[in-house]
Amino acid sequence: MGSALTLLAGLDPAGLPQQLVNGVLLGGIYALLALGYTMVYGVLRLINFAHGEVFMLGAYTSLFVSWALGFSPEAMKSGSHQSNPMNLVIMILVSMTVCALVGVVIELFAYRPMRGSSRIASLITAIGVSLLLQYGGQLFLPTSPPPSISDKVNPYSGSWEIPLKSADASLVAALAKARTEAKESQAEIDRQHINRFDTNLPPAQAALITTVETSERQVHDLEAKINNSSVKINLRYGQLIMLGSTIVLMLLLRHLVLKTPIGRAMRAVSHDFDSASLMGVNVNQIVTLTFMIGSALAGAGAMMYATLGDSPALNTFYGSLPGVKAFVAAVLGGIGNIPGAVLGGLLMGVAENLVVWAGYSQYKDAVAFVILIAVLLLKPGGIMGSSKVEKV
Amino acid sequence: MIRNSFLIAGLAAIGVGSMGLLSGCNPGTPEAPKPTDTKTEKPTATTAGARPEATDTGVKAEGDTIKIGLVAAKNGDDRPWGIDSEKGAMIAQDEINAAGGINGKKVQILVGDSASTPEGGKSAAEKLVSDGVVAILGEVASGTTALIEEVAFAKGIPVVTIGSTRTDLAAKGNNFFRVCYNDDFQGSTMAKFAFEGLKLHKVAIMTDNKLPYSQGLSKTFREAFTKLGGEIVDEQFYEKGQAQFSGQVENMKGKNPEGIFLSGYFTEVGAISKAIRGAGMKDAKLFGGDGWDSPSLITGGGEAIVDGHFCNHYNNADPRPEVQGFITKWKDKNNGAAPGTTMGALAYDAANMTFAAMKRCKDLTAKNIIAELENTENFPGVTGKITLKGQGGNPKKDATVVRVTKDGFTFAKTFPAE
Repeated sequence: MGSALTLLAGLDPAGLPQQLVNGVLLGGIYALLALGYTMVYGVLRLINFAHGEVFMLGAYTSLFVSWALGFSPEAMKSGSHQSNPMNLVIMILVSMTVCALVGVVIELFAYRPMRGSSRIASLITAIGVSLLLQYGGQLFLPTSPPPSISDKVNPYSGSWEIPLKSADASLVAALAKARTEAKESQAEIDRQHINRFDTNLPPAQAALITTVETSERQVHDLEAKINNSSVKINLRYGQLIMLGSTIVLMLLLRHLVLKTPIGRAMRAVSHDFDSASLMGVNVNQIVTLTFMIGSALAGAGAMMYATLGDSPALNTFYGSLPGVKAFVAAVLGGIGNIPGAVLGGLLMGVAENLVVWAGYSQYKDAVAFVILIAVLLLKPGGIMGSSKVEKV
Repeated sequence: MIRNSFLIAGLAAIGVGSMGLLSGCNPGTPEAPKPTDTKTEKPTATTAGARPEATDTGVKAEGDTIKIGLVAAKNGDDRPWGIDSEKGAMIAQDEINAAGGINGKKVQILVGDSASTPEGGKSAAEKLVSDGVVAILGEVASGTTALIEEVAFAKGIPVVTIGSTRTDLAAKGNNFFRVCYNDDFQGSTMAKFAFEGLKLHKVAIMTDNKLPYSQGLSKTFREAFTKLGGEIVDEQFYEKGQAQFSGQVENMKGKNPEGIFLSGYFTEVGAISKAIRGAGMKDAKLFGGDGWDSPSLITGGGEAIVDGHFCNHYNNADPRPEVQGFITKWKDKNNGAAPGTTMGALAYDAANMTFAAMKRCKDLTAKNIIAELENTENFPGVTGKITLKGQGGNPKKDATVVRVTKDGFTFAKTFPAE
């Protein structure tokens, strides 16, 4: 009981709303990736372990497109760069197209020849494809030094603050004033090429440094006061675009699956592969299409993850961790079930951020596996899946 | 209820275990046990003779060329360091051969690629040992160097590390030497800089749990900063290769840190700094250790990392003749480009210091080289004077704090060795 109280005392209730929002935003990307896993599993009963690598290739594609659009590291060194929303649209479309093609090629050369074999053989092929792309990718993709997509590509760099509990307006004004003062005196120091940490400066310059130090101290103190007395949610425009696009893509997918003949065929194949083929559904075409859609969603997710989030530099293992987490999300929601994948993705994102919020950031990635084990033990079918026992 | 909580605890334990298995890239394979454990490690003894002695297995230079090994990350995340290490060591090799070699024998530096992983470094070191090297130079990442040191210790071969600062490495054996300072010094230097230079009172730490370097540095920083009277308001963790930092950043934000000490490598620091600024922490000062040292830091962090500070080994603008002479030589070989990281100069120092020790050896056995390296006194390195005699492998060196600007790193303050 005592330990539970100390545990709770360390929590910061004011940070919770923001953590939940961040969790949902991150969960959106997991959901996009999880859709790929779950759709492929739905039609083929195959866990496509190479899906994370498709994600990685999508991120690299976005990188190359951004370079082609004039945001290469060389170009970034000179002058200012204005991006426009069109760049983002081009990046996401190219990334989706390339990923769709990659998905089709993988299915055609790696999975189709194995379709008649036992399921475990396909599963091992999937792991093989994953390793091939991770290590083979190092031969032709730039990995060292690890490149990253310039944050200048995103024209919407600001953020939108939603105050849940406002701070004292006079404090906010004082902070703005102190901040400007600090900025201005620092700019002056830079302009005069003064080393701030030099202890033998002439009095005029030393006075400048005292000014900057005083105003910085004020900024720190005021910021702490404001932060302690207010609760707000900070939404970056980039993240909002991410969430908006994710929702649009999911609605499109929903329409496709539920309202179109292709979607009906897809559901039929998913329901019973052999009967669907006997009923005149072109099964190969549907499988190809499924891979295409799943991979395109991964491509869209990768582009947004690498461009609009705070992505670290790219390497060929870029997709492995998000891939594993999305896989867990798909299992959590009930593999083979499309709304389940979305729900699972969102829950994964939120769970991860809650673990961090509780002060256990070192177990942030472990939570995925804890969830996986818990689901397999308690509800093997997942939240929305059938409870039919499957042998993989 | 009780049964349920047991079940959950059990699941959590299994989950954490499987995490390690699935991620599969923890430093240290089962047959090479993880060399260090921060929590149980005693502070390093700095007196010579306290270190376990490497057994003499009779390794010696044979034939007309003396082979020396270099382990460098020529691939993977740490490539900027690996490439510069190799270039620096090769300049030293060409120089000594042009000057007649060591006691009439030519020197050949064989390069092994660690591919930025501890396991890769270990197998590269094993290969070099089987190729007959009498000394090994390298690596930069402390986790990698720890395994190289184990391989070399078993063979009685000296290791001169280029940039591994983790403190407890030097206590493992008397065959280990540095040309850089260690984290005891680096951590306390950055603590002093934060408290006295940047005038920060409340600081948060962000540690890369996958890097022994980062864990060690965060620990020494925390101790030193608290001792000075500052307060560590929060410590958050992440793992190298992780892509999302918003959660950790949000937690730190709730504690109102005035500055954030990022003890990881440049590969993640850029992204973390973006997350910090993106979350609305506009004024928190960012600072870190020599793991930031690469131009990729600026391409990765963009405007978010500008005005950050980190601890480095020397400064290209230093007027000392050793520095300027080295930079001229470097530019000659690299189309006029100045070194981007400090690892080139450290590798150059490591190679030259080893050559100098070899020149003093009557007989070029690995055991004699260890003894002569231990006797190094006032070696005039590019990165400062190096004395190893009686230091337990840790030379006393100055630290240079630099400031990150849009175009590169500029000098901020020197902290003398202590």
